[in-house]
This record gives sequence, structure tokens and C-alpha cells, in this order.
Amino acid sequence: MDEQALIHDAQGGSLDAFNTLILHYQDSIFNTALRILSDDDLAADATQEAFLSAFKSISSFRGGSFKAWLMRTVTNACYDELRRQKRRPTTPLEPDTEDGEEMDSPRWLADPGMSPEQEFEADELEHALQHCLDNLPLEFKTVVVMADVQGMDYSEVAIAVRVPLGTIKSRLARARLRLRECLQGFTELLPASFRLEEGSSA
Amino acid sequence: MNQRDLELLSSYLDGQLKLSDSARLERRLSSDPDLRAVLDDLRAARGLLRQLPMRKAPRNFTLTPKMVGKNPPLPRSYPAFKFVTSLATLLLFFTLGANYLVPQLASQPPAFGMGGGGAPEVYSAQAPEAAATEAPAEESEPPVQLAPLSTATASVAEDSARTAEIPSEKNGVTGEGGLENPPSAPVEVQQPVRPIWQVLLAGIALLGAVTMLLMRQLAVARWRRK
Repeated sequence: MDEQALIHDAQGGSLDAFNTLILHYQDSIFNTALRILSDDDLAADATQEAFLSAFKSISSFRGGSFKAWLMRTVTNACYDELRRQKRRPTTPLEPDTEDGEEMDSPRWLADPGMSPEQEFEADELEHALQHCLDNLPLEFKTVVVMADVQGMDYSEVAIAVRVPLGTIKSRLARARLRLRECLQGFTELLPASFRLEEGSSA
Repeated sequence: MNQRDLELLSSYLDGQLKLSDSARLERRLSSDPDLRAVLDDLRAARGLLRQLPMRKAPRNFTLTPKMVGKNPPLPRSYPAFKFVTSLATLLLFFTLGANYLVPQLASQPPAFGMGGGGAPEVYSAQAPEAAATEAPAEESEPPVQLAPLSTATASVAEDSARTAEIPSEKNGVTGEGGLENPPSAPVEVQQPVRPIWQVLLAGIALLGAVTMLLMRQLAVARWRRK
């Protein structure tokens, strides 16, 4: 795929060229939206919205990493969706305590009532990770999803979220540390090679 | 663990440190087990995140022309047809207007000759003075000679007739004075634009519009086949 040629054609109004780019990037854009929003339907909506917005503003793309530019559009679409959710609150993922307050410990996922088979289901680790991601502040979550889940380099992430490189480094370091603390609640779910020493860096 | 060290360790993990900074940190790591433990934790957290499965997009997110509100690409000659058609239509309306209005204006009796209204009264009050100043040249020409003038000078003739009439009205001469003037013959005023030009312009506008419509329909049909 000649990305530059496709971008050039898309900037000239070719929808076919832009659709080729969509087919190439749609998985990573959808996954980014999914990790930020943690909802399949909302992620699909945000992805579609991001591609639509990207096509309409593709003339503003001035070169550099096209993936980072697309990531910026999907991040904006996700933020818009989260703002909409704030205006129309839905049932939170976290269960309430007996006092009616939201539980802030991630250990609720490791329900003692769950059967061992359920605990070892393949998607448990994913749920645990997603839960820990959801516990992060939004700006930390966005950076860690792009850098660690999508494997983007620091400069690409800086372009995507429009903050200086130093801020990216700082947010990423703090996000990783918070994730590590959160994941300590799921030791039994973690693969042996990734077991974290409890309290090792406390 | 301070924030600075945490950032250094995280950047070190991603290979984002300069060689000199990296070497300095490695020296510290070899002698500081706490620092090493934090590095291991960060590495483990990053490793787990990289384990997150990449989900396949639930559907294709490709865009359709309808979604982007895009119009089909029109032929390059389309703007030229649009310009010619618009110009022809504009000129056609202009000539129609001119052909209608010019004879109307030419054959309209003077406003202050009607009497009755406020404005005409002002005119009639001022008219004698105007007539007095313009009189010397025009009084010598009898109104009778004005009638056969050509259409091009018809308005001038009427102005003259008007100036001739005003003093007589002021003097109260109505019946006999009016009869002395011969009835003005109906003046046939020519239209400024010949009808053949209008037909031609209408033809161009119509032809242009039909061509544009066909071009658009063909483009839409081609766009849908894609």
C-alpha cells in the first residue's frame, strides 16, 4: 500500500483512496476507541465518527505520521462520547457497596463466588486489564493505550494527544505505575511470567 | 521513589534515554534493589498491556458518498456551461425588462400633469418658474410642430408640450385653449432590443440548462455504478 499516494488522492477528494486507508487502519483505531471507552458499540460509533471527521478534514493533514493524525481524530471522538455520557449518565460498571457508594477496589472482579473455571476463562485477564485502564484518569489512559497497547512511539503519541513529549513521558510513567498497583489485585489471573511482586515498589 | 526517577525508568524501558543518561541509570540500578524492583514492575505492567488482544473491527468502517455528503464529480466543461447559461438567462431577463419598461416610460403622461396629489402640486407651484427660465427658447416653437417628431425625440416633445400646457392651466384657460392644440398622434415607441435576440438568448439558456441536467444525470449514474 502506497500510503502517501492514497493520502494525496484522498486529499483530492477520492473516497476510494480514503476507504483503502480505512481498511488498513480500522482495527487499530477501533481497538484504541474500545480501550478508551470500554464498550464495543460506543467504540464502533466513535470509530465511524472518527473516519468521517478525518475524511472531511484530510486537507489539514500536512504530512508526518498518518496513524498519529488518525489517532487524534479517534481520541477526539472518544472524548466527545465521554462528554455525552457525562451529560446522560448510565449505570456504572463498578458495583455499589452496602452504603450505596461505588467500590474503588478492583478486587471486586475476583469474586470469591466465581467457579475456578470461570476465573480461568481466557477473557478474565482482559477484563482485569480493562478495569485497571478504566480506573486511570482519561489523559493517562489515552497515553498508555497508544504507547503500550498500540505500540506507538512517544513522538506519535505527542502528536495524537497534542501535548509536549515531556508530558507524554510523565503520564506514561505514572499510568504504568498505577496499572501495576491496580493489577496487584489480580495476581491469580496473571500469567506466571508477569506475576508482580506485591508491594515491591510501594 | 520520586517522579523524576519514575520517568527515567519508564523512558529507559522504552529505550528513550540518551546513552549517557542510560549508563548513569544502569549504574544506579546495579546498586539499588528498590529502583530495580520498580523497573520490573513497570516492565511487567507494560508487558501485560501488550498482551491485550487486538480485536478485529466488528465491521468495515468504509465511507459511502452519501455519508460524506459528496456530490458526483462533474465534467470539467460543466462550469463553462453553467457560466454561459447563467449569463444568457440574466441577459434574457434584462432585455425582457428593458423592452417592457422603456415603452412604458416613454408613453407615460407626465406626473405633474395629473393634478390632485401632493407632489404634483409642488411641481405645479414650481413649474411657472421653471417655465419662465426655460421659456425663451421653447416659446418660439409652436406645439403643432412637435407632433410628427420621431420616436427618439418623443419624450423631448412631451416635455415641451408640458411646459406649454402649464402656463395655460395657471391662467385658467381650459376649454378653448385646449382645443386649439391638435390631439397628439399615438407615438409608436420601438423596443430597445429586437425580439430575435431574446429568442436567441432563451435558446442558449434552455440548451445550456438541458446540457447541464444531462451532464449531472450521467455523472450520478456513473457514480452509482462504481
